Amino acid sequence: MLKDPTAPHHPQARGGPLQRGHAHTVLGPVPADSLGVVAVHEALLSVVPGAEHGYDISMDRADIFEVLAAKLRAFKAAGGGTVVDSTGMFHGRDVPLLENLSRATGVHVVASTGMGPEENLGGYFLTPQTNPPTPWPAEKFADLFGREVTEGMVVPRVERRGAAGLVATTGTRGGLTPTDESLFRGAARAAVATGVPVSIRYGADAVAELELVLAEGLPADRVVVGDLDRAGAVAAGWPAAVAERGAYVAIDHVGRNDDDAFVRDADRAALVAELVAAGHAHRVLLSGNAVGVAKGHAPYELPYAHALTAFAPLLAARGVGDADIQQILVANPRDLLAVR
Amino acid sequence: MSRVHTVLGPIAAEELGLVAVHEHIGYGMPGSELDTQWWKTPEQRYGETVPKLRQFAEYSRGYGGATFVDATGICNGRDVDYYQSLSAKTGVHIVAATGFVGGDTALRFFAEASVDYLMRQFVHEITVGIGNTGGKAGIIKVGVSRGFRMKELDLRIYRAAARAALLTGVPIFTHLAVDVEPALAVFAEEGLPLDRVLFGHADDGVSQGKVNEEAILGGGGRIGFDTFGYDLELPDPPFWGRHRRERLEHFLRLIGEGHLDQVLASADANCSPLGWPGVEGHTVNYIYEQLIPDLRQEGIDEATIHRVFVTNPAEFLTLTTN
Repeated sequence: MLKDPTAPHHPQARGGPLQRGHAHTVLGPVPADSLGVVAVHEALLSVVPGAEHGYDISMDRADIFEVLAAKLRAFKAAGGGTVVDSTGMFHGRDVPLLENLSRATGVHVVASTGMGPEENLGGYFLTPQTNPPTPWPAEKFADLFGREVTEGMVVPRVERRGAAGLVATTGTRGGLTPTDESLFRGAARAAVATGVPVSIRYGADAVAELELVLAEGLPADRVVVGDLDRAGAVAAGWPAAVAERGAYVAIDHVGRNDDDAFVRDADRAALVAELVAAGHAHRVLLSGNAVGVAKGHAPYELPYAHALTAFAPLLAARGVGDADIQQILVANPRDLLAVR
Repeated sequence: MSRVHTVLGPIAAEELGLVAVHEHIGYGMPGSELDTQWWKTPEQRYGETVPKLRQFAEYSRGYGGATFVDATGICNGRDVDYYQSLSAKTGVHIVAATGFVGGDTALRFFAEASVDYLMRQFVHEITVGIGNTGGKAGIIKVGVSRGFRMKELDLRIYRAAARAALLTGVPIFTHLAVDVEPALAVFAEEGLPLDRVLFGHADDGVSQGKVNEEAILGGGGRIGFDTFGYDLELPDPPFWGRHRRERLEHFLRLIGEGHLDQVLASADANCSPLGWPGVEGHTVNYIYEQLIPDLRQEGIDEATIHRVFVTNPAEFLTLTTN
């Protein structure tokens, strides 16, 4: 008798007390204190929805593997331990590929569920075959995302694999659409139900959008707010506000110095130093939003280890102590990713 | 030379036999593949599909062939290597479509693409093949997003389709015939003769009163009565259903008014739906089991039936040379 393709793949994928103190990696749960240096907001294979069908887009699997494996090995050689693929479930995520990359390189890979912003969604969620075509509400997204933790991540129409380690969503830059709001609320509910953390890359108002997910009953220290090194976020004082609210502050475009939408590394270093001085060292996360392989959008060639190798010394130069740097690179992501 | 692209290669239009011009092996909205409630094992999918196609082939023996035009666009679960295996094993010719069911089924990558990129996508799928399958598209699908109003993205797809149709000679069929004026304007601007366009779903329940048949027929366009079988008499009809009698009378009226050469008919059934429950018992074979007997009962002669299901679609599907 062949197995039901929708059945959980890994026995460990099912929720339960065994997972406490562990993070869900694509190869199963691992003790969170063995994750090492973690890059929390990165992409491995990143595919704009639909690009895999583009006539001029090569999806050569061997090429993709080779490029990603080389980048993960470089990360490991630089002292990295874990890469979190925070692209969600519909932006090129290929769970067997991630598993085999992790096996081949020895780097822990945490994959994410979730979707967003609205423009990245398929018509199934936005204009369903009902009359009228009412977009999906939060509870349906919560169920979809939650099952990717409790039953395993989907390989579309084939099978479920291991548990997602994070629910990741993103808001529309101009401000959350009603469906974005459903995605944010649904992500929060899935996190409450399963114990994995939530990542929100804010749309227009980091603090208000954080409050939206907290209103679902999610403790603040289960949320990481991304994109907080956007120029507007820094000008508005949102990094400190988010930390004060108890959520994780992701300074997650480390290495990007040619885009006016973001502050530069010097300002990032100053910002982190300020947060540490204000007592928020336990709330800061660093990452690069590197793209391992990009399909359907511009490549972004940044080493996964950039925060560790190039940016951490800038912090040290600004007087941030070693213990705080270790807190930021190792302990904070450990606490975030440990399933509760 | 009269050629039609099937997923297994070009065939002469004379070999098409009876044509079901708007059908689906399996349709699912983009993203439905993430929702396990719709998943089926490969055994189930083949098991639901093969008997329907074999029956279709069997019914069509007297017509010299059976052709199934799949109207599933890019991003909607179109699965050409699967169609190739189905065709090879059942003997049913399958014509695959490039294009999109509507703007709201085009994922972001295509939603943000230019007319020129979309045109190149369609042309590539018609002249080189779809993905790595080698199977070439034989028709272009376009359509109107939900809400009965043509949106900017819908029109961008219509324009790209018109250009690709002119360049390659394949025809276009549409999802919905509502709000047709902007579409007619695009085709006129691009210089595409309207007999290369089948305006589909003109017969569905929710479109009635919203289809400008006069403009379509007057311009030389083709009209699709291609949701035959989505009858409100079903135990659980879909929202686009219509009373069987009313649809049939509508069809007969157009034939009676002299538009026989411009009408095409099909069932728009899913052999094995991908992202929705489908309609139990509704298959491509409705054409043989209900529709053709209904037409005969109404006194429609065999020559007329042949015109609707054989000659008209053969003319429509034949690649034009410009």
